[in-house]
Amino acid sequence: MFKNRFTAKAVPLTVVLTSAILISSSAFARSNVYADFPITLKGYSGSATTSTSYKGQMARHALESSLKKLISKGDMSAMQSYYSGDDANRAIIAPVTKGDFLIMQSTIGELSNKNLSGKTYKGLIPGWPGNMTGPEVAVFMFEKAADAEGGYDAAHAYDYTQLVSKFLMGAVMYNQAVDNYLDEKLEADTKPNNKPYKDGAAYTGKEHVWDEAFGYFGAPSHTLTLSAQDVYNIAKQKDVTAADFNYDGKVDLYKEMAFGHAYYASSFDKGGKTTYLHDIVGAYMDGRDMLVAANASALSDSQRDQLKAYAQVIKTNWEKVIAEAVFKYAGETYEDMVKIEAILESNGDVAKEWRNYSKHWGELKGFALALQVGGKDMGAVSVKLNRLIGHSPLLLGNTQVIGLDSSGNYVQSDSETWGGYMVHMLKVQNLMVDEFAVVAKSHDQTAGLSELVESLGAKSSAEND
Amino acid sequence: MTDFFANFLNPEKRLFIGYLISAAFIALIWLRIVQKKPLTNIVSGFLNSNVWFSKSAIADYKLIVLNQFFIKLLAPILIGQLALTLFVFENMHLLFSRPSASIPVWMVMLIFTTVLFILDDFSRYLLHRLMHRIPLLWRFHKAHHSATNLTPLTVLRTHPIEAVLFSIRAVIVHSFCLGVCFFFFAGSVSLIEIFGSSMFVVVFHSLGSNLRHSHVNLSYWNWLEKILVSPAQHQLHHSINPKHYDCNFGAILAIWDNLGRSCMVSEKHQNIEFGLKGQSEKAHNLKNLIIGS
Repeated sequence: MFKNRFTAKAVPLTVVLTSAILISSSAFARSNVYADFPITLKGYSGSATTSTSYKGQMARHALESSLKKLISKGDMSAMQSYYSGDDANRAIIAPVTKGDFLIMQSTIGELSNKNLSGKTYKGLIPGWPGNMTGPEVAVFMFEKAADAEGGYDAAHAYDYTQLVSKFLMGAVMYNQAVDNYLDEKLEADTKPNNKPYKDGAAYTGKEHVWDEAFGYFGAPSHTLTLSAQDVYNIAKQKDVTAADFNYDGKVDLYKEMAFGHAYYASSFDKGGKTTYLHDIVGAYMDGRDMLVAANASALSDSQRDQLKAYAQVIKTNWEKVIAEAVFKYAGETYEDMVKIEAILESNGDVAKEWRNYSKHWGELKGFALALQVGGKDMGAVSVKLNRLIGHSPLLLGNTQVIGLDSSGNYVQSDSETWGGYMVHMLKVQNLMVDEFAVVAKSHDQTAGLSELVESLGAKSSAEND
Repeated sequence: MTDFFANFLNPEKRLFIGYLISAAFIALIWLRIVQKKPLTNIVSGFLNSNVWFSKSAIADYKLIVLNQFFIKLLAPILIGQLALTLFVFENMHLLFSRPSASIPVWMVMLIFTTVLFILDDFSRYLLHRLMHRIPLLWRFHKAHHSATNLTPLTVLRTHPIEAVLFSIRAVIVHSFCLGVCFFFFAGSVSLIEIFGSSMFVVVFHSLGSNLRHSHVNLSYWNWLEKILVSPAQHQLHHSINPKHYDCNFGAILAIWDNLGRSCMVSEKHQNIEFGLKGQSEKAHNLKNLIIGS
């Protein structure tokens, strides 16, 4: 009797244990560092020792960081050069060596001689006046920045440094990754895994597609060995020890630096409420490990489905990172408005707060534009977001930019009251919660309100007088 | 039934055991020392089965049980509270400047606790007055006034529709208060609490609020009865005598009645008959209480 019962239970138990071991061993099989994946291509005869390659993407991060510095200089030709030029000797203006944080590369060409214009989203940018495409918006902003002192137009409260930087992070990096590499380039007939990406390449089509998508996120290759705080400190150039993974005394912008949205993911995750950075990099790692295991054979439908599932994890979390940034800067814009209103009421000088207001609104707008170039039809959410934020911050006199005239000058019109526009910022935060389920919620202007309602609100009662 | 027992264990509720004990103690002092009644009469009055098992009291119990189920249906009204609070908070921006300087937390607590108390009490008075003055609402409220014996449990002798109306009132008042105070004081809004309940509520209930629905005619000085509603004044409100009709709608503060010319001070040695004029014994049937006779 006992023997029979034992046998009957032993079979499913064995299955469970075996499955658990397989699952846990596959989890342990995840690589820690996104680098030096082996060459799987059959018959490769070149000198490369690894199939991993995404230098072009890191060059674009360096271009975007440098361009951000150039905006405030107002030099149109320099801005054009970093946006659409082809000079390999363009100096990397940011990030540069800072104290013991030694940067290995000093020119764009040392990474890869690329530009940003060729990879900027070509579709309509609905949240910016003038019915322009992505590259047109970028050049328009350069021209306006060149006309404004230090890239700052106080009259319209436009901070072009922030606008350009956050917009391009979306229109180039985010768009290329989620709307190109992690989208149509995962299809069977595009860049197949049983052929080189291009003639003579050391990597297969799908391996390189995946690497390029990883590069655009901007995370250090050893992110999974680091905490979110470490990655944040790397981006801020505060922790060379965390950055210098190979102990050569220098920070390699290709593999060891944190850029773009990876930096923003770390900034939210370090608060402890979210894990965007590690979820995204983990999914990249799982996809890349899967491609190594595929060993340069054409992917089956189920393998591609698996790869698309990893891609979806990346897309969803990346979108949330941008939505978190929209949430954060809507909150900061709101806080600036409270301060400005108080100063105006006491007849004080608002120049400093106006500068902050312009900066935070520029980041809000840049991220809001970025959110809409992920290749997904956001429908009414997009309309709401653009209407709430408008084409410019609310200006003194309660006007806003509503469009451009035939010469490209901004046209203003009466708009909301000051308090009304503050409510718009609250509604932007609500929209990010409702549509993207943001969790970090930095600078939440209604933080604690639901807890207050819960603890101090009315309770059900049938008491009578 | 958990909700029912919560009535006796939660200091936010009038029937909290601590308030019942304090009410009994106050009644004892009043009846023995002020009215000089013999102790045996007082104790037998407290335990009088003719009161606790009267048709009126049994009707109270039936309605209490019914409302335990009905009150579950009020959850959506309470859920709407957050949306309404947000609505108030947002609309405050259109009327006022958001203050940037913070004020001391103790002051915020004092302001919030006081404003909530005053608005809550005023809205109770107003809705109560409407329950009497509007014939449609009176049809529901008369279930409460048909009580011919008053016990502390009569506080829960409420028509379910009236429970809905009072819950909506509470949601509106709390949402308004929270939305406005959050606008001015942000996250430092909190209540001055005793045992987890507003200090005003605890003080009011500790001072014998349960005697309002009882036969203990505890009265205050006349001048005080124009500020605070005494149990004896509320008993006048339940009187069958037409000369007492439509008086003392207030819950805690009598100033609303004073302003609305409905304040009536208690009478010395008043001996009130409770209920509705001309009502039959059938008035205590659950069917009649709910859908009318």
